[in-house]
Amino acid sequence: MNQYDHIVPPKWPRKFLRFFVKKEYLEEIEGDMEEIFRESLEEHSVRKAKRIYAFEALKLFRPILIKNLGGDYRLNHYGMFKNYLKTSLRSLKKNTLFSSINIVGLAIGMSVGILMILLLSELHSFDDFHAQKDNIYRVTSTRTLYGREGNYSTASYYIGSQIDAQIPGVDKVLIMGRDMSADLRTEEKAIPITGFYAPTSFFDFFSFKLKKGNPQTALADPNNIVLTESASKKLFGDADPMGELVSADGHQDFQNGIITGVIEDPPVNSHMQFEALVALKTLDKRAEGQERNFKDNPRDMYNSYVYLVLNESTKTEEVEDAIGKIMNDYNSNAEAPITHRLQPLDTFVTSDTYVNGTGPRFSQRKIYVMIGLTLIVLLSACFNYTNLSLARALRRSKEVGVRKVTGATRFQVFIQFMLEAVILSLIALIAGLGLFFLIRPEFLNLPNPAARGYQMFLLDINYLQLLYFLLFAIGVGCLAGFLPAMFLSKLKARIVFNNASKVKLFSGVNLRRVLIVFQFAMSIGLIMCAVLVHRQYKFALNYDLGFTTEKIVNIRLKGDYANLLENEYSKIPEVVETSKSSVVLGVGSAMLTMIKSEDKSSTVSLLMSEVDERYFNMHEFEILAGSGFLSPLREDESPKYVVVNEAFLKGLNLGSPKEAIGKYVWRGDTRLEILGVVGDFVSITLNINLEDAFGFLQTSKASRYHTLGVKIRSNDLLATMGKLEESYKGLDPVHPFEATFYDDQIALAYQPQKTTYTIISFLAFLAISISTLGLLGMAVYTTESRMKEVSIRKVLGAGISNLMLLLSRSFLVMIAVAGTVAVPITLYLVDNMILNEFLYRAKIGLIEILSGFVIVMVISALTIGWQIRMAAVRNPVDTLRND
Amino acid sequence: MKKTKLGEFEELVLLTVVVLQEEAYGVEIKRELEERLNERLSVGSIQSALKRMEQKGFLTSEFGEATKKRGGKRKRIYSATPYAHRVLTEMKDVRAGLWASMPKLAYDLKII
Repeated sequence: MNQYDHIVPPKWPRKFLRFFVKKEYLEEIEGDMEEIFRESLEEHSVRKAKRIYAFEALKLFRPILIKNLGGDYRLNHYGMFKNYLKTSLRSLKKNTLFSSINIVGLAIGMSVGILMILLLSELHSFDDFHAQKDNIYRVTSTRTLYGREGNYSTASYYIGSQIDAQIPGVDKVLIMGRDMSADLRTEEKAIPITGFYAPTSFFDFFSFKLKKGNPQTALADPNNIVLTESASKKLFGDADPMGELVSADGHQDFQNGIITGVIEDPPVNSHMQFEALVALKTLDKRAEGQERNFKDNPRDMYNSYVYLVLNESTKTEEVEDAIGKIMNDYNSNAEAPITHRLQPLDTFVTSDTYVNGTGPRFSQRKIYVMIGLTLIVLLSACFNYTNLSLARALRRSKEVGVRKVTGATRFQVFIQFMLEAVILSLIALIAGLGLFFLIRPEFLNLPNPAARGYQMFLLDINYLQLLYFLLFAIGVGCLAGFLPAMFLSKLKARIVFNNASKVKLFSGVNLRRVLIVFQFAMSIGLIMCAVLVHRQYKFALNYDLGFTTEKIVNIRLKGDYANLLENEYSKIPEVVETSKSSVVLGVGSAMLTMIKSEDKSSTVSLLMSEVDERYFNMHEFEILAGSGFLSPLREDESPKYVVVNEAFLKGLNLGSPKEAIGKYVWRGDTRLEILGVVGDFVSITLNINLEDAFGFLQTSKASRYHTLGVKIRSNDLLATMGKLEESYKGLDPVHPFEATFYDDQIALAYQPQKTTYTIISFLAFLAISISTLGLLGMAVYTTESRMKEVSIRKVLGAGISNLMLLLSRSFLVMIAVAGTVAVPITLYLVDNMILNEFLYRAKIGLIEILSGFVIVMVISALTIGWQIRMAAVRNPVDTLRND
Repeated sequence: MKKTKLGEFEELVLLTVVVLQEEAYGVEIKRELEERLNERLSVGSIQSALKRMEQKGFLTSEFGEATKKRGGKRKRIYSATPYAHRVLTEMKDVRAGLWASMPKLAYDLKII
C-alpha cells in the first residue's frame, strides 16, 4: 500500500494494447506493463511514468504480438462454406418450380443487363485509343440566327489559326476540312471515297497508325492523299498504292491526286470515320484571289473542325475566355454573334447538342432511358426472388433454428442466405449469357439512325467484361437475397422450436405486396409506352402530308445529269411523269435561306427547295392562289418567281393568298415575285412545326437537283426498276443506283420511333414475362398453403366461383392498385420524355390508356385462375382425410 | 543447431530465463538483463523474443500468481526446455572451441 495506488495507467495506450495484442498474450503483457508502471511511479513523476507506459505500449506493436487479421478464431471457414453450398443446392433442387422461376426470371433480366454492360463499356471505350485523349478538345460554335440557336461541332478556320497564334496553354491545334467526298479514279475503276482534309500534324494529334508513308510528308503538299487500308484495297487490290496517281472527276477542289500514304482503318469505336485523308493545303485554292476567304472569315464556320490539345495545366474556361476576346472584334458589329466553346473528347459520341458532327452518335438521354429500362427488368427479376423466398421463409425456419442452437451467429445465417441467392444468380448468369447471344444479333440489326450508317457496337465479350458480369451477378444476387436473408437471420431459435405458430409467418406481407404492385406497375407502364410509341409511329406514317407520294420513286442524283436522265426516262413507257427537286420533302431534310420583304424591312428564315415546273402537278399540291412554275428557266437565267406556303405570308405580313400574288420579296440581291401559294404540307417531318415558312424556287443548274421523282404505272415493278437502273448506269457508272419509293422513304424518316418502339415492346415483353412468372410462383404458394382452408370451405358448401374469388381477390386488388399508380405516371413520362420531339401527336384514347392495364390483368387472371381452379376443383377428401 | 537459429539477443534472454528459474517472468527478465547489460530494454523487445522462442520450442510457459502490483493480472513464468539447454551448451562449446583455436599471435599483438 502506498500513495500511488490510486493512479492507473493511461487510458488510451491501454486500450490500444487491448486492441492489437493477441488475446492469449494480453493478460501477461498487460500485467507486466502495469508492474513496470508501478515501479516507474516510484522513480519518476506521474506524468513521466505515464509517458513511459505509452511509449512502451507503442513499442509492443510487433508482428509476433499482433492479432491475426480477420478475427481471432482459427476455425476453418472452408467447411462452413461447403455446408452452405450443399444446403443451398439441395434446397434449390428440392423446390424445382421455385428455383426455375427464379433462374428463368433472373436470366432474362441478366441477358438485358449483360447487353447494357457491354453497351456502356463500348460507349465508354470510344476514342480511348488516342494517346492524348484526356487533353483533346473540339472547338464548337454557337450562333443564333433569326431566333434559331444553332450549335455546331464545326468551327472556322480563322479561329483555329488564331488560337494557334495567340492563346498560350494550347499545345497543338489541328484544323481539318469537313466532308471530303470524291470519286477517285484509277485507270481501271472509279470509286466514291469520303473523308477529311487534314494537315501533316494529324498524325501526331490522333493515334491512327500510318502503315505506309512518312508522317512528316504524307499530307504536306496539295493533292496528297492518304488512303485507309480498306479503301486502298478497293481501289488497287493487293498492289502497292504508294505513289499511284488518281483523278477525281468533277471535284471542285482537286482533279488529280497522288497516294502518299496508307493508314489503318479507323476502329469502330472512333468518332472519326473516314476512307481517305486529303492534304489540307489542297483547299488553299478556294481562297485564291478572294479578299475575304474561308481562312480569315470568322463566319465561315461550317466547313472545318478545330481540335485542340490543351496543356495539362490549362483550364478550358481560360481558353474559352481567350477565344471570346479574339471573337470580340467580329462579334461587336455582327448581326449574329458567334461563341466558341470547348468540348472534351469523351463527349463527342454521347452529346447530341451539336450538328455537323462526325461518326456515330449515341446520346446521353438514350443511355439513361436504356439504363432505366434495364433496371426495371432486373428489379422485377430480383423482386421475384425476394417475394418467393420471403413467402417460403417458414419452411426454412427450422433449419435456421438448428443452426442458431449449434452456435451460428445472426451474421453467419445472413451470409448463408445471401450466398444462396448469389449461387442462384450465378446459375442465372450462365443462362443469361445464353439468352444474350440470342438477342445480340437482333439488337445489332436494329436500325440506329444516330449511328449514321456506321457500325457502332460489336458487343464482343472479353475477359475483363466477364469479370464485370461476375461482379454484376454477385451484385444482383445480393440485391435479391438481402431481404430474405435479413428476415431469416432474425428468427429466434427459441420461438421457432417452442411454438411455430408464433413465428411471424406473414411479417413482410405488406412489403411483398408493395414489391408485387411495383412489378405490375412497371409491366403496365412498359406496355403502355410501347402502345403509345407505336400509335405515334403509325400516326406519323399516315399523316396527311399535304401532297401525294403514291407510286412515286425518288432517285438520288449525284451529278449534273438530271436533265439527261429525265430525257432517258421519258422514253420508258411505264414512266408516267417525272420531276426534279433538290430536296425530298417530309423525310427530315431541307435547305435554309433568308428572305427579306420588298422594302427590306423584315426578314424571315425560310426552308426551301428548288423544284422544276412539273413538281406541283406531279405531287398534287393544293394551290390556294396563283399557280406553280410555268416554264423552265433558260440556262444562266436567275430565278424570278417563288411559290410559298401560308406561313410565309404570315411571316412577312403579305395578307391573304390572293393578295400576295404578284408581290415581291428579296433573296439576297435577287428580286422574286410570288407566283403561287400552296396549302399546308409537311416540309421536314412531324417534329418540325408546320407553321414554318417554306418557299419553292427554280434553278437553272442541273447539278442543284439531287432527286428525280418518277411516277410509274406498271404491273411488273421489278422489270421497270431494272429499266430505270439501266438508264441510270449509262449516265452515272460510279455511284450505285439509289431508288426508293417515296412512301418507304417516309417510313425511314420515322425509323428512330420504330426502333424505340421495338426496344420498349421487347423489354415490356420481358418485364411482363418475369412478373407473370413471379405471380405464378406466388399463386402456387398461396393455393398450396391454403389448401386445407379451401377444402373445409368446400365441404361447408362453398362453390367453385366463390373459392376462386376468395383466392384471387388479393391479387386482383394489387393489380388494380398497380394500374392506378402506373397509368398517370406513364402518361406523364411518355408525354415529356419519349414523344416530346413530336409537335403533332396522335390523340390518346381510352384504349391506349387501358391497354397495359387490361393486358396485365388478363395475363394475371389466366395465371392465377389456372392455379386456383386446380385447387378449387380438387376433391376435399384428398387433403383432409389425413387429419 | 543447424535448423533452428537462436539470435544473439534471444540467447541472452534464454540464458536469463535459465538463471532466474522460478522467477523468470517478463518484468524480472527485463530487470535482470538491464542490470547485466547496463542498458534500458523495452517490454516489446523482451516479449517478442520470448514469444518467438516459445514458438521455436526453446521455452514453455505457464501462468503464475497474480499480484496487486500487476493490477490483478497473472504472471507468465517461462522455463527453458531440455532442447534449449542442449542448444545453449552446444553454442557455448562452439564458442569455446573458437576461442581456443584463436591464433596466439592476435593475443600477442594486443599485448604490445
